Amino acid sequence: MTRILAVAANTFRETVRERVLYNLVFFAILMTLAGLLVRQLSIRQDEKIIKDIGLASMELFGTLIAVFIGVGLVSKEIERRSLFPLLAKPLGRGEFFLGKFLGLAFTLLVNTGVMTAGLYLTLGATGAPLDAGLLRAIYPILLSLLLVVAVAMFFSTVTSSALAAVCTVGVVVGGRYADVIRNMREVLPSAPPWVVSALYNAVPNFRNFDFKDRVVYGDPVPGDVLLWVTLYAVLYVGLVLLGGLLVFRQRDFQ
Amino acid sequence: MPDPALALEIQGLTKSYPAGHLFWRRRRPAVRDLSFGVHPGEVFGYLGPNGSGKTTTLKVLVGLLRPDQGSISILGQPHESRGWRYRVGFLPEHPYLYDYLTAGEYLDYVGRLFGLPSAVRRERARELLERVGLSRSADLPLRRFSKGMTQRAAIAQALINDPEMVFLDEPMSGLDPIGRRLVRSLILDLKARGRTVFFSTHILPDAETLCDRVAVLGRGRLLQVGRLDEILRVDVTHMEVLVTGVEAATLESVSGLRARQAMGERLRLEVVEASLGEVVRAVERGGGHVLTVQPVRESLEDYFFRELGEEPGPARGLED
Repeated sequence: MTRILAVAANTFRETVRERVLYNLVFFAILMTLAGLLVRQLSIRQDEKIIKDIGLASMELFGTLIAVFIGVGLVSKEIERRSLFPLLAKPLGRGEFFLGKFLGLAFTLLVNTGVMTAGLYLTLGATGAPLDAGLLRAIYPILLSLLLVVAVAMFFSTVTSSALAAVCTVGVVVGGRYADVIRNMREVLPSAPPWVVSALYNAVPNFRNFDFKDRVVYGDPVPGDVLLWVTLYAVLYVGLVLLGGLLVFRQRDFQ
Repeated sequence: MPDPALALEIQGLTKSYPAGHLFWRRRRPAVRDLSFGVHPGEVFGYLGPNGSGKTTTLKVLVGLLRPDQGSISILGQPHESRGWRYRVGFLPEHPYLYDYLTAGEYLDYVGRLFGLPSAVRRERARELLERVGLSRSADLPLRRFSKGMTQRAAIAQALINDPEMVFLDEPMSGLDPIGRRLVRSLILDLKARGRTVFFSTHILPDAETLCDRVAVLGRGRLLQVGRLDEILRVDVTHMEVLVTGVEAATLESVSGLRARQAMGERLRLEVVEASLGEVVRAVERGGGHVLTVQPVRESLEDYFFRELGEEPGPARGLED
């Protein structure tokens, strides 16, 4: 466990020192603040617009961070061979892989925390009440980001960083439009049903993590729904990480 | 059963890589049927030209590659166990370290992977950075390090756990003469402290200076293992004669003269031992005189080219 935490701490330090992270957080906060301007275009919708833009920024920029840093975490180490000295030490490949995941997961937690604070500050600046219900949309966003990281890490163990980024974005976009995959036969009648079914089940359904509209419009998000979403995320993250780990453990580092 | 008297034992090691395109996949052997042992406390040189399988062997030894066949034991423990990893150090070829860390932070990080307490990590990092001449750069980000400085920092990380055995892949690579001397003295210091050093190189004078024994690899196969005086021909191969005051053209007809090389006003001659008298007389007849005469025995470089059937180039290594 000490070694996993050492890798995680180093990964966190790496991501914090990456300029791309600061840029993305900066733009996310900028977009939230932009909500302050946009609200002037709408009548009595100030709070909803700020929440809407804030949550969407959190999801979009969080996903970008998860994809690009997640992909680079392992593949960059392999391509630059910086993991060679480490794997000759008493560090198991599984420990290295899990440490990398935990490090980026912690980065995303901090990052989401910063953006959440930014959103609440913006809402506070407009005199809107501090709505704790927002956390019921933010928590599933964080879960979805962890899933994106796991997918990015999986692809980065099997292919180059560029291709891994493309594949991860493909899975995320496919997962956002999972319903389109399910109804694919309506537009492509020749598609074999088993292919459609396999594709639909293989791609994680990112819609399951989307409670933005419900929270913004004040619809309740019951605790058992969040529990179900948590289990869904844990299962998917576990499976994807396990797949990545199996590939990583068997890999030859030439 | 691993031989407890050996620090490293390799039996029948074979490793191949996939080659060819998608529809015609085959395996290209990188090393074939290697078997040899390394004794505790010796400096063991692993020699061979580029592409001969040195780095592949080292990567298999430290677990970056999985062998196709064969067995390995390190410090008396089977290769599959994790125990030996606590007791060895590894310097990869052309190391790349995290450029967002300082040298001190990097050493602290790798020290944590060995479970070293914080105070020990700090002390070891300080000592090692001083030993490799980087104590004044401990707080600089590694991205600002030159190639030679990176190599030194990488050597320091290989020693953070005070290892009983060290695997060094081309440790002199990228170093200036001062750096090379420093690495040579580090290797000799490790030997003096009873550590085992296994290092690969294609810079043969380094091997000749440092190694107790060597293994010579050519095209993935083991050509020889042993002490240098066992491997090299002990007989004098030729005489090297340094002369002055004579034109090269006047020696053209002399028999037994293998090579001539002008060095300013001097001339360096390679002479067959039996013809030495005749050459000396020819030099004196031409108005010159002999400065030095030196018997030359086979060098490791000569051995290499003899075994691999290639002509030596002008440099004293197989390549730059």
